[in-house]
Amino acid sequence: MTTRQDESSGFEQLQASAEFQELRRRYRSWAFPVTVAFLAWYLLYVVLSGWARGFMGTKVIGDINVALIFGVLQFVSTFLIAWLYSRHAGRKLDPLADKLRGEIEGGAR
Amino acid sequence: MTAGLGLTAVLVVVVAAILIGAFGLRLSRTTSDFYVASRTVSPLWNASAIGGEYLSAASFLGIAGLILAYGADMLWLPVGWTGGYLVLLVLVSAPLRRSGAYTLPDFAEARLESMAVRRTASVLVVLIGWLYLMPQFQSAGLVFREITGAPPWVGGLLVGVVVGVNVLSGGMRSITFVQAFQYWLKLTALALPVAFLLFAWHHDGRPAPHGEVPPYFTAPVTVAVGTDVTVRVQWPVTVTATGRVDGRPARGEPLTLSAGPHTIAHDTTIIFPAGAPVPHVESLPVLTDHEWALPLHGREHPVYATYSLILATFLGTMGLPHVLVRFYTNPDGRAARRTTLVVLTLLGAFYLLPALYGFLGRVYTPELLMTGRTDAVVLTLPGRLVGGTAGDLLSALVTAGAFAAFLSTSSGLAVSVAGVIGQDILRGGVPSFRAATIMAISVPLVLAAVARSLAVADVVGLAFAVAASSFCPLLVLGIWWRRLTTTGAMAGLLVGGGLAGGAGFAVIVGGPAGGWAGALLAQPAAWTVPIAFLVMIVVSLLTPGRVPRGIARTMVRLHTPETLDVNRGDWRPRST
Repeated sequence: MTTRQDESSGFEQLQASAEFQELRRRYRSWAFPVTVAFLAWYLLYVVLSGWARGFMGTKVIGDINVALIFGVLQFVSTFLIAWLYSRHAGRKLDPLADKLRGEIEGGAR
Repeated sequence: MTAGLGLTAVLVVVVAAILIGAFGLRLSRTTSDFYVASRTVSPLWNASAIGGEYLSAASFLGIAGLILAYGADMLWLPVGWTGGYLVLLVLVSAPLRRSGAYTLPDFAEARLESMAVRRTASVLVVLIGWLYLMPQFQSAGLVFREITGAPPWVGGLLVGVVVGVNVLSGGMRSITFVQAFQYWLKLTALALPVAFLLFAWHHDGRPAPHGEVPPYFTAPVTVAVGTDVTVRVQWPVTVTATGRVDGRPARGEPLTLSAGPHTIAHDTTIIFPAGAPVPHVESLPVLTDHEWALPLHGREHPVYATYSLILATFLGTMGLPHVLVRFYTNPDGRAARRTTLVVLTLLGAFYLLPALYGFLGRVYTPELLMTGRTDAVVLTLPGRLVGGTAGDLLSALVTAGAFAAFLSTSSGLAVSVAGVIGQDILRGGVPSFRAATIMAISVPLVLAAVARSLAVADVVGLAFAVAASSFCPLLVLGIWWRRLTTTGAMAGLLVGGGLAGGAGFAVIVGGPAGGWAGALLAQPAAWTVPIAFLVMIVVSLLTPGRVPRGIARTMVRLHTPETLDVNRGDWRPRST
């Protein structure tokens, strides 16, 4: 394990810096709502199955009903959310991380 | 399929696994080699490797079996197993990569600075690994029995020995290209037969399950019963039986089965006339085709069971011992995100196939509902639908794919479990690792031999429930909540893991129960996960003095971007 003498100084300062806080805020403010939203979307499927049986049992093509199509769409939506996250991270998080890096490397050395 | 051809398929896979293991030893010596070498691995290779290790017997055989038995509800399993990767990606993957922890116990120790928490995490890893390994060995027994008629423990023992040899010789470490190859083998082994099956089905006039009747035999069928079963007959039917029915010997004379339960002894063959409804084994529900195609009809208390399943799979994936380490084979966060996108595509593509097998099985192999061996549907369909040499070859291919599934997943898991037993529970060093490997493999083997035969995907579901009730709160709170204390983490792990593990144990030993008690035990996640989170939070708030001293350093390490060259502290995992 590490020595603990510099415990509060550098790390606490970095933690308190506006950019670091902003980075965490940006990450969290996106990740948490989206996680809640997509869990809700999956739960909606279950609610529909329970309360909208007629709709879910509607036959679309041959014996394939709405429920099965929804089931397959869950895979698609999973992929879409992951893609959105990647895009968000690429546009919003990475540039800020690079900026932070530039400042620290420029300032500290 | 002829026994010779099936055995050949199994032998080819086994020999290939051992050879690759032996050569792989030269390719990957240490974790750090693996870590550095992997910087050149492209996202597609990496994603294939993740898929190869992740797709176990439960995915290859189990899902098709559950869909055959319970219908549309069971699509949730593959959706959840895919969605679990999404939760892992969004909530924990980036901070976890930065933590420098290779294993879950590493993370527990780094974040909470406590050996006690580390050991608790180790015990849980072993428990989850065993729960996951047991159904792999059971399925191996099932497959081997389909080929040769050998007793179920033989196939399990065979896979156990091969995995043990591999782990001890140091091979089959998560070698990226081997695992990647496994994914494509599994995909081919399911996709190629499906193409033939769909063609045959089309040629057959595309009979489909529809209407208000349960499945029935469309042609006279000879059913061979392998293990003693109790089946429910719906209305009286005259059959020809050889063996023992209801405790009385039958010698091939016509026999009328009255409506109600009947016991059929092992090694009995019964010939059913065309048009007779399929008698279901007691543990499976009798569903009309219409109910089968609708969600929320499969089991008792379907809404609860479905929610619970969603929670277990979505939140359990991040707590699987063999999943985490793969995130290190990406050079940076961007590549890790791209890899995850490819993983989701590969898993989604794969999981469409078992659903097709389940659907076709409902039409062509309904007798599996009577013998209760629904997990065998993937293996029996090609021979049933495609005759002659083509059918034999396709069956051999599916068998090879199934063995590849057991070997790759079991090897990855056995390495993880043996490593944890050797490092954290025994005293480390080579003799410990040998003993640990034997423990890692023999315990689930014994469990597989003595346990009631449960559906393979159900047991894997229990492993996910334990992971979701212990490691999910540890990871999510550990990464995002500064005030998590050592005592709180410990209490949450013990309570959550203990409750979910106890429920799993009750189901494995006692078999599936009925009513609310049965549903709560078979799908524990819906109540164990909230309890685990609650215990962790409440106990942490009650013990504010037990926040780890290095929390500021740990939080910086977890949340500063990897490209940032700050002093992250020099904590290094012990077990590398």
